[in-house]
Amino acid sequence: MSLIKLENLCVDYGPISAVKTLNAEIMNGSITCILGANGAGKSSTLGCLAGLVPVSSGRIIYDGQDVTSHQAHQMVSAGVTLAPEGRRLFPGLTVYENLRLGAYTGHAREGFQEQLEAVFGYFPRLRERRDQLAGSLSGGEQQMCAIGRALMSRPRVLLLDEPSLGLAPKIIVEVAKIIRSINKTGITVLIVEQNAKLALQLSSYGYVLETGSLALEGPCKDLLHDDHIRQAYLGGTAA
Amino acid sequence: MLQLTIQIAVNGLTFGLIYILMALGFTLIFGIMRVVNFAHGEFYMVGAIGILLLFGTLGFNYYLSIVFAVLCVGLLGVIVERVLLRGFVGRELNSMIMALAVAITLQALAAILFGPQEQSVARPVTGVLQVAGVFIPRDRIVVGVIALAVLIAFYLFLRYARYGLAMRAVAQDPAAAALQGIRPGFIYSLAFGVGSLLAGLAGALMAPVYTISPFMGDVPMMMAFIVVILGGLGSIPGAVVGGLLLGFVESLFSTFFGSTIATMIAFGMVVLILLFKPSGLMGRAQ
Ligand SMILES: Nc1ncnc2c1ncn2[C@@H]1O[C@H](COP(=O)(O)OP(=O)(O)O)[C@@H](O)[C@H]1O
Ligand SMILES: [Mg+2]
Repeated sequence: MSLIKLENLCVDYGPISAVKTLNAEIMNGSITCILGANGAGKSSTLGCLAGLVPVSSGRIIYDGQDVTSHQAHQMVSAGVTLAPEGRRLFPGLTVYENLRLGAYTGHAREGFQEQLEAVFGYFPRLRERRDQLAGSLSGGEQQMCAIGRALMSRPRVLLLDEPSLGLAPKIIVEVAKIIRSINKTGITVLIVEQNAKLALQLSSYGYVLETGSLALEGPCKDLLHDDHIRQAYLGGTAA
Repeated sequence: MLQLTIQIAVNGLTFGLIYILMALGFTLIFGIMRVVNFAHGEFYMVGAIGILLLFGTLGFNYYLSIVFAVLCVGLLGVIVERVLLRGFVGRELNSMIMALAVAITLQALAAILFGPQEQSVARPVTGVLQVAGVFIPRDRIVVGVIALAVLIAFYLFLRYARYGLAMRAVAQDPAAAALQGIRPGFIYSLAFGVGSLLAGLAGALMAPVYTISPFMGDVPMMMAFIVVILGGLGSIPGAVVGGLLLGFVESLFSTFFGSTIATMIAFGMVVLILLFKPSGLMGRAQ
């Protein structure tokens, strides 16, 4: 069953057309990825889903409802949470305060303590760093805090914008494992990556954007063996 | 000598606390909405006029008058933000001009309703307290205790309350705050309301000390400006440090050299800060 449907989604920033009539579907309980080079329109697409970037035309259907004009707080309440590009933690607040803000909305506040334990379960290092300022964390810890903060809202859909950006390979593997186990708890994951290999290994279905338009889509095991993908995103070598 | 030192300290602390009340609201509103609130002094004035009306004319209890006047000023702030400023959030120049218009309008309204002349209310608290051979005016103590209590409450609110946390989040990164489910508009109203309320409290506390007129907000507004430049625009700790610094400097220099010299010294400090640390004592470099 599809949980999210993008119908002819367009995003314009003034004269710049960032996303052009994108059609996509995200299956309930799946991990889906959007690939593409820098500037392809990946973050804009996620921004629309999170209610942060206004849709120019087209529709977003979530759980059977038209949420095209929803704002960010409405999307969070509806169960769609974005861990944005560059993590965007509140650097002057502690890890605990960042996580507390993640559980700002009504339904998340009720299960706060329980969810906090779950997040500390995924990321034990956050428990150790609980009272440290988020700005003082290492890159890997910041990404964990950003994913943890998004989880605090008890989302149905987790949107991840380039979670591997700037992380050491060892940390990337760790984060990938955790994304998989988060998905196993029933949370639908939509992941945007320039690191195509990581995203294709994690996901079951993928979309490839090129300058705002859909270039290719398919099951990830097919995309992994696609010549075009290999040359453009996997460095041309056999994966 | 001891008497004089303590006198300077008590005056410095009372003025300092009033400056902090003024500057905190000003810096909070700027930090969250990026609005330079030129009407801040007028909320101070409305707080003082509230005391003139409730305590002076109608004869209500002074403390109840403070509570009621201050809540009304907070509500006025919420209305001004929602109706007049919301459309200009993030556009610094436009919102500044709108705030200026609000200031002039409030002054004119006060002049029409209460007259342009200077008025005064009787001191609700009189007499001096003698502690270890030192005399401290009782009304100073009342002002100090109320201001301090409200400042501590405000600190606890910002530090621990859900909405306080949300305010700090919006000040740091409004888009990221929206992604947590925070409605920026609600936080704008709250911040402007709380900021106005603090200015109104400063006015209500100073009403029996100074004369009351539609234009009485100009000086405290300027003082809030100085404090905020000293401490760093948008910085809460900066407002506290700057307020105390200004309070003590004023008290010290006006005791020995008169208030004109004291004001000159205050502006001298501002010039020095702008030259050597433009982001202020506690401000982050932009
Ligand atoms: N806020 C913005 N204002 C103007 N142009 C933008 C804005 N955000 C993104 N763009 C432009 O839209 C295009 C797509 O950007 P983005 O969605 O961030 O791509 P990606 O995430 O794939 O790198 C780029 O050309 C970018 O320059
Ligand atoms: Mg991007």
